[in-house]
Amino acid sequence: MKEVVVHPERCVGCMQCMAACASAHSRSKNLFLASLETPRPRARVHVGVGLYNEGFPNRCRHCDPAPCLLACLPGAISRNAEKNTVFIDPNRCINCASCAMACPFGVIRYHEDFTAPPGKTVAVKCDNCYERQLAGLIPACVEVCKSGALSFEEKADAMKRKTDEVARTVSAGVAQVDLAPGFTLLNAIKRQQIELAR
Amino acid sequence: MEREANLNYVIIGNGVAGIHAAETLRQLDPNGTITMISDEVFPPYCRPMISMVLEGAVPPEKLPIRSSSFYEEFKIEPVLGNRVSAVDVDNRAVSVNGKVYPYDKLLIATGADPRRIKAEGLELKNIFFMRTETHVRQILATLPTVRKALVLGGGLVGFKASYGLLRRGIQVTMLIRSGYPLSMQVDSEAGRMVWDELKAHGLDVRIGVEATAFEGKDSVTKAHLSDGTLLPCDMVVIGKGVFPARGLVPKEKIKVDAGIVVDEHMETSAPGVFAAGDVAESIDIARKSPWVNAIWPEAVAQGRIAGMNMAGRRTAYKGSLSRNVIRIFGMDVMTAGLITPPEAEGFDILKVADSRAKTYRKMVFKGDRLVGMVMVNAIEQGGVLMSLIQSETPIRAPREALLKPCFNFKQLMQM
Ligand SMILES: Cc1cc2nc3c(=O)[nH]c(=O)nc-3n(C[C@H](O)[C@H](O)[C@H](O)COP(=O)(O)OP(=O)(O)OC[C@H]3O[C@@H](n4cnc5c(N)ncnc54)[C@H](O)[C@@H]3O)c2cc1C
Ligand code: SF4
Repeated sequence: MKEVVVHPERCVGCMQCMAACASAHSRSKNLFLASLETPRPRARVHVGVGLYNEGFPNRCRHCDPAPCLLACLPGAISRNAEKNTVFIDPNRCINCASCAMACPFGVIRYHEDFTAPPGKTVAVKCDNCYERQLAGLIPACVEVCKSGALSFEEKADAMKRKTDEVARTVSAGVAQVDLAPGFTLLNAIKRQQIELAR
Repeated sequence: MEREANLNYVIIGNGVAGIHAAETLRQLDPNGTITMISDEVFPPYCRPMISMVLEGAVPPEKLPIRSSSFYEEFKIEPVLGNRVSAVDVDNRAVSVNGKVYPYDKLLIATGADPRRIKAEGLELKNIFFMRTETHVRQILATLPTVRKALVLGGGLVGFKASYGLLRRGIQVTMLIRSGYPLSMQVDSEAGRMVWDELKAHGLDVRIGVEATAFEGKDSVTKAHLSDGTLLPCDMVVIGKGVFPARGLVPKEKIKVDAGIVVDEHMETSAPGVFAAGDVAESIDIARKSPWVNAIWPEAVAQGRIAGMNMAGRRTAYKGSLSRNVIRIFGMDVMTAGLITPPEAEGFDILKVADSRAKTYRKMVFKGDRLVGMVMVNAIEQGGVLMSLIQSETPIRAPREALLKPCFNFKQLMQM
């Protein structure tokens, strides 16, 4: 299953993901019309700054077990195993902010939303663009991110890439793009073996 | 591994601790017999939500957090409507209503009872507690005839009762013995802010006063206060805190302190007897001493841990931590851990208040660990701080960063 992976070191802080997210979670799904809607659609991904003012796209990690799910008083939070997504039901939410205390990443916000009963403030967070995914689209934040700070891929692939990146800092040849096709199949260990044999 | 015989699990209390324990047990042991004894007959419900039913924000039918088929679904035998008066530790049995239920593993998840007060005239009508769904139904039934209410206690429940009644358009006077509202939850600065907010919305708060006697013919009409005032009122809600419902425990067999003392496996001093939720006393992470943290998320966590250990999966509980979030009119207050530490014990306190933005933040550090915090408004990042306290993570980022409005998770990451 593909998931959104955040690469904070690549974030340039342009906040385009926020605009795309707000628009994807609007009634009209259109950036310009969305800005005219009431309640005003808001982003569920939050670009903040680190200690050195570097950008940081913060979004729900859809933890398992999810602390917010266990803390929610009326049982408004649930997990969809198939899409590995934690949902908040705006109809059940009582806006008690127990989830704000439970979320170790600080990604839940409280405001009105078009999916909630009119005039009611509810807890809102990332839903992995569930509706877009059902329609065959990828999450809006990933689609719009130009710097590669957000990707939508298999977790194992992302891990492998990260491992290779780290490995490259110690061993130059790891997982570089090779000239001859098929050559990339040789992983670091095999290469080392060849090198040692020489 | 096949078990020789099915185990008999008995759970006393169908509150949130009890139901999470039962669900965990069923998940880990499909064959054991689970009996759940409780005096409340209503389906498992969200206790904190009763104050919202009082307020009128939520209809009573939204209270249940499990479906009516919960007991069947999890193959639990419910024994409802009666209170267990004693646990027979020697014979490993619990009796209720003349029937004896033997147990191999017992969970006491009896929660807490409202603290009673001493005053004359308490037998009068229209004097209530607010702990159960039944209490709120009773309060609601009298509302049409009520114009002036008196709420005793400035704790969480007294406070929620006042808020609910106020929202129903009833005049409320709140009596608080300590110096400011929510004194168990917040520090004096945040307490003042809460007080100001309450006053601004028409609540009459009286500090340092108690009720000594109630008068009335059939139902209450007047209250005598400790400062000599005679206050007319047609309803009283007692919200003077709760105490663990541990009356059924034989003290010579099971160690009790304020609550039932449990170890890291939620097991009491009697082997095979466990306790969880508002009735249990565990190690407090911030205080490093035994403490009863009677809050919902701890009841859930403890219920789950108790269930795992009862089913034979040894799982340790890290300890409990007090925490609360309170929304009052337009104001949000969040607190966690140790917020007013004893002086001269090596705690560092950092505070920042912004009167224009109506925000306030206070962090309590011990060495390089955060042990407590108070936030007024802008509480969205509170969970990050909460988890720092809970996980006892050494803080390497500059401490002042935690106080800033732009504080976020990234600022704690080492790059
Ligand atoms: C108005 C109100 C607002 C609250 N708001 C919050 C909040 O915002 N956040 C928060 O974290 N917490 C809040 N709490 C506290 C929270 O409700 C409790 O921490 C939680 O419900 C504890 O669950 P429990 O399962 O331990 O006990 P309980 O929910 O008390 O369940 C215990 C059950 O056992 C039964 N029982 C007791 N003794 C016996 C006996 N001898 N025999 C048979 N049955 C027995 C009781 O009748 C009860 O049904 C609030 C509480 C109240 C009353
Ligand atoms: S604010 Fe809503 S989603 Fe969050 S814990 Fe409360 S009820 Fe659950």
